Amino acid sequence: MDFSTFLQQLVNGISLGSMYALIAIGYTMVYGTLRLINFAHGDIMMVGAFFVYLASSMGLPFPLAVLAGITGSVLVGIMTDKIAYKPLREAPKISLLITAIGISFFLENLFNVLFGGVPKAFPAPEYLTTSFKLGEVILPLMVIVIPIVTVLILGGVLWVLYKTKYGMAIRALAFDIPTVKLMGVNADYIISIVFGLGSALAAVGGIFYAISYPSIDPLMGIIVGLKAFAAAVLGGIGSVTGAVLGGFILGFTEIFVVAMFPDLGGYKDAFAFFFLIFVLLLRPTGIMGEDLDRGRF
Amino acid sequence: MNKTLSLVAAAALMSTMAMAKEVKIGVVLPLTGPIAAFGQTSKGGLDIAYAQNKTLKNGDTVKIIVLDDRGDKAEAATAVKRLINKDGVSVILGEVASSISMAMAPVADKAKTPMITHASTNPRVTKGKKYVTRACFIDPFQGAVMAKYAIDNGMKTAVVVTDAKQDYSVGLSKAFKKAYEAAGGKIVKTVLLSSGDKDFNAQVSTIKQEKPGIIAFTGYYPEAALMVKQARAMGIETPFIGADGVGFPELVSIGGKAAEGFMYTDHFNEAAASTPEAKAYVDAFHKAYNKPADSMGALAADGYGMILAAMNACIDEGKGSDDKECINTHLRGTKGYKGITGEITINEGGDAVKSAVVNAVKDGKFAYKTTVNP
Repeated sequence: MDFSTFLQQLVNGISLGSMYALIAIGYTMVYGTLRLINFAHGDIMMVGAFFVYLASSMGLPFPLAVLAGITGSVLVGIMTDKIAYKPLREAPKISLLITAIGISFFLENLFNVLFGGVPKAFPAPEYLTTSFKLGEVILPLMVIVIPIVTVLILGGVLWVLYKTKYGMAIRALAFDIPTVKLMGVNADYIISIVFGLGSALAAVGGIFYAISYPSIDPLMGIIVGLKAFAAAVLGGIGSVTGAVLGGFILGFTEIFVVAMFPDLGGYKDAFAFFFLIFVLLLRPTGIMGEDLDRGRF
Repeated sequence: MNKTLSLVAAAALMSTMAMAKEVKIGVVLPLTGPIAAFGQTSKGGLDIAYAQNKTLKNGDTVKIIVLDDRGDKAEAATAVKRLINKDGVSVILGEVASSISMAMAPVADKAKTPMITHASTNPRVTKGKKYVTRACFIDPFQGAVMAKYAIDNGMKTAVVVTDAKQDYSVGLSKAFKKAYEAAGGKIVKTVLLSSGDKDFNAQVSTIKQEKPGIIAFTGYYPEAALMVKQARAMGIETPFIGADGVGFPELVSIGGKAAEGFMYTDHFNEAAASTPEAKAYVDAFHKAYNKPADSMGALAADGYGMILAAMNACIDEGKGSDDKECINTHLRGTKGYKGITGEITINEGGDAVKSAVVNAVKDGKFAYKTTVNP
């Protein structure tokens, strides 16, 4: 591998890593609050991308379509909470987990019925898919935009969590829901906010994913969702900064497995998950994870 | 002698006509999931062929039962079991992906139910199976056509891109490499990917470094479309050549301008349709869907046509149209069947011997380049 190829692979790593990081933030936020691994997260991502596709095929300009996509996903997220998760607040966590898997299947199949299973071309506008040339290295615009968006969102989420009243309520919920209710906080309302926020993050992730890889299908959220989940676990699930870190580590691992061993490139997922197992053996709570019983971000 | 025979035949015909029955064909296709385009296009062609002809010589009617396997091997194997045991079908048509057909074949073989795959090109699909036939050519032939076309056009060094998850791609890569090296070409690198992935920047960067004359892509269209897009964005001008797994409209709709010039071997191009049967099919297809006839649909129609021909041959022999042994014997013994995708003859291994076409994307359409005979 010559130097410019190495630099290119570095760029590729940042590109893929920031993608995973962006999606993992949403995963980890919902987990941090509700101790729910929201397996439908990847599917909300898909829903976001499809809403944008739908809105722009109805003639809406791209920025408005993005807005419609995020709004639609937030509504879907809040609705899933109200319909599927709320009745199970007092139930064992495992019931909630199974329900999340059910929601995931439901969304996948619903969109399969509505849009068919054939991949569709995502209408990414040309001004977002351009790339710059730095010597031999090609730098797609998205490689610059996505990390910036990730950092902005990371900052935004941290700000909401630590500087606002809602954030305080969310953090309190992460510790103990019944006590928070006794304090007069409308827990259901706050949980709705968490789901709304989580879904908005998923939608943003899904839209950026679709801009970078402009082929969308109802099952597109499964693998990315799994990878983002792995990233969140790797970083220490529940920790927002950990999720970003995990995302980058996962992205770089995948890119460099392919770069170093192109003959094994088809098994890069195996390498990524092997790495995950290895880290978990050394640090069972992930890189940034601390005591599992404490609520934290 | 002859007269009595025909009298007997006529009597037999009349007696069967009096109680014309329904004979069932089970169809297993990926109507949803990652390779749904294969299933949907196959179904489109099958529907045309079915509408054109669903009655046998003796008046028996044919019923097709279509099941969706979502592109899943286990699901497909279960579907075959269900079709045989619950629905009582006499013959199975499907699948497209070789990996999936390979999961179905042992089930059909064990149940002694003839199965014909219209589009699975991996040699192992029919290998050692008594009841499995196919309506398409096999990968060694397709790989050789790819290699020959590349060499003939002066592309003497190649990077091979293999989808490690797909038997189809692994087999095709092997066939391409063998034929390409035998013809004096040099494989400079093999790059692996895995279907379902969307980021191929790492692979593309590796290819860029090698500066090959051609990129032989042996996977399917979803990855082909994204990979060619990422390759062009990375500044790689090297032409791509693929096989029948890439020739789908999504290659163009997703790949956009980057897909221009993407060459691939295929089973059928309507521009090459010359027989009356093929023309009738193409006309009916245009009328029904208002778009060019694709190869998966044409193959599915041929698979269906071969089944009907076999059933009719059984009726000629005085056997029932649902006689599985008889249908299988005639499917495996198909000789010079005038199909939509060309003349089909089945060899002793159950594989079809027929010609291939080479197409290329031009102005967003699949333009016919040439036909290569076996």
